[in-house]
Amino acid sequence: MKQTHLTKLVAASVLALGITAGVSTSTQAAECIAPANPGGGWDFTCRSIGKIMFDIKAVDAPIQVTNMAGGGGGLAYTHVVSERADDEELIVAASSATATRLAQNAYGGMTSDQVRFLGAIGADPGVIVVAKDSPFQSLNDLLDAVKADPSKVAFAGGSAVGGFDHLKVLMALGRAGFEDITKVKYIGVDGGADAITQTIGGFTQAMTGDISEVVGFLKSGDVRILAAFTEERLPGEFGDIPTAKEQGIDVVAVNWRGLYVPKDISDEAYDKWSDALAKVAASDEWAEQMTANGLAPFTKVGGDFQGYVDGVISEIETLSKEIGVIQ
Amino acid sequence: MSDRLFGLVVLIGSVAYFLAAANIPTGFLVDPVGPKLFPRLVSGIAALCALLIIIQPDNDPEWPMAMTWLRLAIALSVLVAYAYTLKPLGFLIPTAVAASVISYQIQSRVVPAILTGIGLSAGLFLLFKFALGLSLFPVPRSWMG
Amino acid sequence: MDTFSLLAQGFAVALTPTTLALAIAGCIIGTIVGALPGLGPSNGVAILIPLAFSLGLDATEALILMTSVYYGAMYGGRISSILLNIPGDEPALMTTLDGYPMAKAGRASDALVLSGFASFVGAMLATIGLMMLAPILAKVAYLFGPAEYFGLYLLAFSTLGGIASDNQRKAALAACIGLGIAMIGLDNSTGMGRFTGGNLHLLDGVDFLVAIVGLFAVSEVFVFIESHGKSSAIGVKLESITIPIKDIGRTFGTMLRSSFIGFIAGILPGAGASLGSFLAYVAEKAYVRDNSRFGTGDARGIAAPEAGNNAAAGGALVPMLTLGVPGSGTTAVLLALLMTLNITPGPLLFTERPDVVWGLIAALLIANVVLLILNVPMVRIFVKVLSVPPWILLPGVCMVSFVGIYSLSGSYFDLVLMILFGLLGYFLRKLNVPTVPIILGILLGNNMEDSLRRAMVISGGDWKYLFQSGISIGFWIAAVTGFLAPVFLRKIIKKPQAHVDTTPPEST
Repeated sequence: MKQTHLTKLVAASVLALGITAGVSTSTQAAECIAPANPGGGWDFTCRSIGKIMFDIKAVDAPIQVTNMAGGGGGLAYTHVVSERADDEELIVAASSATATRLAQNAYGGMTSDQVRFLGAIGADPGVIVVAKDSPFQSLNDLLDAVKADPSKVAFAGGSAVGGFDHLKVLMALGRAGFEDITKVKYIGVDGGADAITQTIGGFTQAMTGDISEVVGFLKSGDVRILAAFTEERLPGEFGDIPTAKEQGIDVVAVNWRGLYVPKDISDEAYDKWSDALAKVAASDEWAEQMTANGLAPFTKVGGDFQGYVDGVISEIETLSKEIGVIQ
Repeated sequence: MSDRLFGLVVLIGSVAYFLAAANIPTGFLVDPVGPKLFPRLVSGIAALCALLIIIQPDNDPEWPMAMTWLRLAIALSVLVAYAYTLKPLGFLIPTAVAASVISYQIQSRVVPAILTGIGLSAGLFLLFKFALGLSLFPVPRSWMG
Repeated sequence: MDTFSLLAQGFAVALTPTTLALAIAGCIIGTIVGALPGLGPSNGVAILIPLAFSLGLDATEALILMTSVYYGAMYGGRISSILLNIPGDEPALMTTLDGYPMAKAGRASDALVLSGFASFVGAMLATIGLMMLAPILAKVAYLFGPAEYFGLYLLAFSTLGGIASDNQRKAALAACIGLGIAMIGLDNSTGMGRFTGGNLHLLDGVDFLVAIVGLFAVSEVFVFIESHGKSSAIGVKLESITIPIKDIGRTFGTMLRSSFIGFIAGILPGAGASLGSFLAYVAEKAYVRDNSRFGTGDARGIAAPEAGNNAAAGGALVPMLTLGVPGSGTTAVLLALLMTLNITPGPLLFTERPDVVWGLIAALLIANVVLLILNVPMVRIFVKVLSVPPWILLPGVCMVSFVGIYSLSGSYFDLVLMILFGLLGYFLRKLNVPTVPIILGILLGNNMEDSLRRAMVISGGDWKYLFQSGISIGFWIAAVTGFLAPVFLRKIIKKPQAHVDTTPPEST
């Protein structure tokens, strides 16, 4: 029965370590709410930003991550607005999806001015992707095909209808002068990788998503990127991907990763958090995380960022009304 | 008789479900099936099954007596109360109380029931908090300063 | 030969005293988490991710710990299915059908050992499949579009009669209840809510774990209160632990067939372990000549779903590693773990990071062997559960369920919903309505509807699109056969009075 002794020993030591870890994090630690289950982008934001903030000593104690999934982030939003409005030790992960849902009134009447947006420190550039043997060679080839006969081209994306991936396609078509955007075929599947699979399988003609979702397939040569929705060409190995802008389609759509804080915290607390976030943005650790996860630099912190978010929300609101996602 | 009643309840439920499907908002985008068809299909099949059950019911099960219904009602209300007190009052006290009451409902002896409640409350707290690392508060947050 | 040298390298990475200790700890924690109702493999892995970081484990060690937890939880789910008729997690659902009756008949430890062995066979074959064929199998996912998935789900629902053949209308009704519940929440294709009544909690839909725990665990409490703790497996004599060699030998063919079905289901990102175990069970029941004992404690009815779900768990790693598509909630969490370790799964993972892939495969093999070895002595401990008197056990199960569900979202809402499911479960059990189809409806309903609607979006409303590939036609034929077969067979073969049900007989 040597086996069981060893087992007990190991289990006990693992558990003991677990206990110490638990105790050390529960002393007056700040909290980061990831409004989703472990594993998604919001969870990544909380865990990596929280970890780096502590590692570079921008905060005194490790930041505790709480997962609060529900309502596509709405549950956490409601929780912060109604129960934690003056909690200075709280940050919450946010992204373009947060802005999209606020614009589409998907948080049960909550509005974007009920929290303060703190900043974004990285962004996943939006891309349009086709299978390697696709007849479409440029973004305009694809958009022209939709213009000629929208029933011939189906897009797949990782977000639901009306979500950010869908809106990117519609924005591009809008800029290309296509009016009848309700005729565009789009299927929302479970995540970007699934959307790529459907596109490589030939069930849909193009995929709309974020660059981090397609990197593996790009390198293996299974897909081609027709356009990235960024201001300028991406740095490094992605430098040969044309932007939509240089193809005459003036759309910039990136999935930023950032944070918001409760509305009623003091300005000192807000400044303390934005300083900490700016330090993370400038750190080598964050640069590494960004490369590893296919994020492009995108740093907007403080008042700047609030203005940016307001702009994005009003654009999405207009578009969503056009396609009938909101009245 | 029980089956007929059950079938009737399901029938009414599926008709209500079918009608409620009318209120589902439809999008303006390409979606030939739409959000209403599937729920309607499901309620249709459910109604059909309910009719078959009404026409050809099974024998009645043995329903509990009045006293047992009371016990079930007590257990149900304790569970609901437990659900609402778990967060504000912390883990230990509501768990001990709820476990005791349920234990008592199964086997009507007071002392073992209370001991069960206390033992389960303490034991499970240790398991969840330390072995599995769930974030639970043992007592109301206000007590912990 | 190449495979083997790579695997040897993998073992060199994975087989050190530290990693072995981690594998054992992971297997134990996983088994416990899997066995507790409401806590499934995804909770287990999610809970341990921070632990892996605080222990300062490197990538390989963290992976080994997590895969051990993952496989451990897949093993563990069966324990509460067999002993308490409460599935520890959703893939263990089907194991309640024959596992619990067998335990009630006084053969709890046989059922546990047999199912443990079946789990081992399923997981082992799946890992070997993953090892040999992953890059090729990854291409299978490219063959499955919305129309093919719709055919697959249709097949699952059309064969539901196979699990509760004594009262088809009640089984069908139960499936409809599940499907109706699945419709609640955000509609993927319009982005708008359905049947939510404006409730923010319902926008995400009803979590199947809430339904499982409510229908099985909470309703159990009501059943016990009614019977004053007398109607239970508890009180059966505890025989000594033996290896049921006869059963294992007799069900070996079952295990192989079920592993194959489960593995294929696992490879398809839209199907997953639950569908794997379900299809393995119904296929086995249809395949064997004499199936009258299914549902009453047939050894094959235990071996099939366990081999199936563990093979599916291994199969699900194929799309996760090669495409980055998580086929289940658990693989989603494993995927996240890989990403935090700076490993991005995708088509190039096998060529770019062979160390990770083969280390992982070696870890799976190790975890599997450790689990088999641990499980035989552990059965002794688990069976002790049956000697705990119900007035302690039931409140305990109930409290575990509450905490498990509470840890999902931290809301009262899910807890109250769970109690309502408990109440529903109590009445359905009294009326002899099977509850397994309800869970299947909730699990698969949205996928089925979404795939139909996606297919119609792509085809522009042309229904012929559903029958355009060989794969979809195959599924349609199987579905129609599967639906009609029980109806005709019942007329041809006069069965002995079947008393297949998922409920324990009421006390009288």
